Amino acid sequence: MADYDRRQGGDRGDRGDRGDREGGGYSNPRKRRYRDDDENDRRGGGRGHGYSHSGPPQRRRFNDAPPPPHVRIRKQLLAIAENPMRPWHEEVSSIANLFTDTWDSDELLRVNFVDLVLQLAIEQPLKTPFLAAVVLVANTNKPEVVDMLLTKVAGLLQTSIGQGEWREVKLYLKLLACLQSCLEGDGVFPILEDLFSRAVDLQTASSEDTIGTELVKIILLTLPYIMSAAPVEQWQQRAAELMDKTEIIASEPPALQALIEPYHDESSEEKAANPTMSLIGLLQSQLQAEAQNGWALSCLPRPWVFPDSDAEQQSKLNDAPKHALPSITIPQAVIAGPRPLFPEVYFSVYSGQDVESVPSTASAASSLVRDALLDSINILDFNRNVTARYLIEVDCYFAPRTFAARATPFDRLRDIEPPKSTWKPEDVAVDAVFSQVFQLPSPEHKLVYYHSVLTEACKLAPAAIAPSLGRAIRFLYRNVHRLDLELVNRFMDWFSHHLSNFGFTWKWTEWVDDVSLPDLHPRKAFIMGAIDKEIRLSFAQRIKNTLPEPYQVLISPEKEKEMPDFKFAKDGVPFSTEGKEIATLLKRKAPDEQIQPVIERIHALAIDHNLDPLVTSTDVFVTAVLHVGSKSLSHVLAAIERNKDRLTEAGAASDVARAQIISAVMAYWDANPGVAICIIEKLLNYRILVPSAVINWALVNHAGAARGDALAKAHIYELVFNTVVKVTGRVRQVVHKTMLKPQPDAVTVDAETRDLEVKVMRDLFKAMEDALVSWATGSKDEMMEMSDKDDGSNSEREQMVRRWGERWLRVFRRRAAIEEAFLLDSKKKKRASEASFFAATTTSNGNTANGSGGESNNGVEGGGDGGDIMVVTGQEEDA
Amino acid sequence: MRGQRPTVDRLDKPSAYYNNRNKRRRRDDRDDRDRDDDTNMKDGEQQPEDPLKDATTLYVGNLSFYTTEEQVYELFSKCGEIKRLVMGLDRFNKTPCGFCFVEYYTNQDALDCMKYIGGTKLDERIIRTDLDPGFEEGRQYGRGKSGGQVRDEYREDYDEGRGGLGRAIQVERLRDAERRDRADDHEFGRLR
Repeated sequence: MADYDRRQGGDRGDRGDRGDREGGGYSNPRKRRYRDDDENDRRGGGRGHGYSHSGPPQRRRFNDAPPPPHVRIRKQLLAIAENPMRPWHEEVSSIANLFTDTWDSDELLRVNFVDLVLQLAIEQPLKTPFLAAVVLVANTNKPEVVDMLLTKVAGLLQTSIGQGEWREVKLYLKLLACLQSCLEGDGVFPILEDLFSRAVDLQTASSEDTIGTELVKIILLTLPYIMSAAPVEQWQQRAAELMDKTEIIASEPPALQALIEPYHDESSEEKAANPTMSLIGLLQSQLQAEAQNGWALSCLPRPWVFPDSDAEQQSKLNDAPKHALPSITIPQAVIAGPRPLFPEVYFSVYSGQDVESVPSTASAASSLVRDALLDSINILDFNRNVTARYLIEVDCYFAPRTFAARATPFDRLRDIEPPKSTWKPEDVAVDAVFSQVFQLPSPEHKLVYYHSVLTEACKLAPAAIAPSLGRAIRFLYRNVHRLDLELVNRFMDWFSHHLSNFGFTWKWTEWVDDVSLPDLHPRKAFIMGAIDKEIRLSFAQRIKNTLPEPYQVLISPEKEKEMPDFKFAKDGVPFSTEGKEIATLLKRKAPDEQIQPVIERIHALAIDHNLDPLVTSTDVFVTAVLHVGSKSLSHVLAAIERNKDRLTEAGAASDVARAQIISAVMAYWDANPGVAICIIEKLLNYRILVPSAVINWALVNHAGAARGDALAKAHIYELVFNTVVKVTGRVRQVVHKTMLKPQPDAVTVDAETRDLEVKVMRDLFKAMEDALVSWATGSKDEMMEMSDKDDGSNSEREQMVRRWGERWLRVFRRRAAIEEAFLLDSKKKKRASEASFFAATTTSNGNTANGSGGESNNGVEGGGDGGDIMVVTGQEEDA
Repeated sequence: MRGQRPTVDRLDKPSAYYNNRNKRRRRDDRDDRDRDDDTNMKDGEQQPEDPLKDATTLYVGNLSFYTTEEQVYELFSKCGEIKRLVMGLDRFNKTPCGFCFVEYYTNQDALDCMKYIGGTKLDERIIRTDLDPGFEEGRQYGRGKSGGQVRDEYREDYDEGRGGLGRAIQVERLRDAERRDRADDHEFGRLR
């Protein structure tokens, strides 16, 4: 199992690395103050509290006496099952015995033990079965501990249910399920049955319901743990009955599923060939198969089963006292909790391989391992190093022989003889992370968290992880034409970010043939987008050096220039005199009065040449501002700040002038679209631009001028996407605020703002819908013109443009639907909270209030409140 | 339950550097109080409001001198919109000297940045992030003798991204070389 030293990476590696880079080499150790920047602390890979960690030797300060029992128990519980060389039954008994032997010495120790078990069950759920085993063994000596635990867990479970913290509910139930064998009566079943009847109520009440689906998911994920802990006839019967009931809900595709499927197939045949399965639908059929098979559940660990050599312990376990589980009541009205619930689908980047390197969807292992890993990944977002380590050590937490040996190359999986597993632990682990990166509408944490987990995993075990990532990349690239467009952009983002952490090395030669594809081709579009993102994290020359010759043409010489050319610098260009003049004035920070005459001259000249005077002067002025600020973003921001009034005026003058601001920015920074996007974002903040102008520019003007080419450009998508996120983030923020304030007069003010923001958002989505529908159906004027002079190549081109239109449409229709769902949900919540406010006497449920831990700010990306920079509002000059 | 220490360390805590500096300060405060009134001490100890409680700013270190604002934006925007970016400059040349301050709109974004970006690479260097109570004018300049960051004064390793060897060492070596040259000149002169 342990093919390599598991402790190697993480801490020691990390520290060594730091030592080389930062801490090392001081000629003057006396002067500690010189270390300011380099004094890196040791939080990097550290886990637990120092002593929980068996890597680098710990220095003991006073003597070599073993630490007191409570410290040893904590340390051992924290590290349970981490050492693959230590048999589970030994480790479990040793901790349980240490605990029960010292039972009388310290009351605090008993309380601490129970608390720690419960905390671990929530924070490190991969270890839950092992913790349960310790409790079961302890039960043979000190049955009181189980009563203590059950009382506490019942209270916590009750609170979690009340708060709609469904993951916690699931995790407490997982622990209880593993304890089923020591529970009186029916154990966990009554809770599951109550949950089910509530799910039925919810599903009958509304076809849009998502909580009921979630409850069924929890039931289905709890059953296997009961069956692995107490595989007796009685419970098999009970499970079968429950599953007969869940069938109806689980087999129905959940509401909204069509919206969140990762693939957006070109044709219905393609879709039919690759059906997307809802998570609970899969679970239901997988568990039915397990039931047929006597609940073998061969992937689940059973650390409570002792080897024949230890029959005595086993019989003690079998005869241990049973305990009553305090009753749990499921309230009439259950809530969705802090995170909006969406149906989940199963996604794998390793599907369709000739050898199964991850469990197939026919196997319950695919759901059970995935679920356990996802909980760990999403709970431990506060220490990606630890997350990465658990991922790499996934085989420690499941039954022996569930996986192939670590770091087995994919090609060698073919040589594995049938009964043995071909599941590559690295693939299974990485697949779980990718399922989050590609989760729609959005994963629990910011995408960059999942990037960072993959980066750390790759740092910890490069030889094992890197090839798995390579195969994932190839899978995604092959499917780039049918992935949802939002996901293509997430792929691009991750890919470029990942490469930036590993020297920008990728086997680009593999895709060399695709370089000659038309720019509208999804794969070519991906290549171009990815290279641009790489350059943005680095610089053109560096990236050029990493690319094979055929790719070189994709990096224009303009990208290598330090700053773009100022088009008015060339004599003979119309308005070059005025352009240069304004630039000089701006550089001198001349007062506005000196600029105005030049602008007027431009207006006069433009009229002479039959040009729109405002558009012309806006182009000259904005380009001059950009030129003056070309040195860096802070230069351009300062230049914009200084000329805010004139720019605002230009933006308010007319539709075409407003569009010209965007055109000027995008044209000036054409070779570095990242800078352009950033500037547009700031112009939105300054309210020089409004979101609808950006959308209109991108989807109508610019896309029109380029006959649809713009739709294949990743940076245009990014510009539009960011703008939409800004608007929706703003709405969410305002809605949250209106929900917070209880004073009646404050509410009315905020309600107005809210309604205004909501209207702006809806108008924006409507405008996008209109523009994109015409691209998707080919009814756009520019496309009509195209098909008029039809020859073969044009119709192919038109096909591609329409497809891009469809893909865009799907992304933003989903966005719109999700925001509407959010508005609906918050309305419901508001009504509920008002109702409960009037109902007054709320139960005070003590110390389990949701702290900062569970808070995730999903959706509200950027666009913070107040501050010195204004956030967009819907003030448009023209109707 | 929530008050318990987590079973895994958090990456979004201030660094030892920050804590040590603060501890020193706090100890000084306590000394003062000790003199006045012993009983106040306990209150005083838990009193000081954590200046990082709502921090939205991060100090970012170990950047290459050549890393641009645009690159910083590109990476750090992954944790949320950036409100302000202040590049650290050499006090004398006003050129980037390998650090910056990134300010977000929310505390959550800053914490996420600690967790997800601190310790990863930008421009192929492992960068470090630290929560910061907030940028103040003047802090954008290096505090080293020669204008850059203090750590670049006595650095003995050759770091191409940060101007080679430590500045002070470079100066020392230059002086040595000059001395040798002068000695050579002298020798040479005498021979003649």
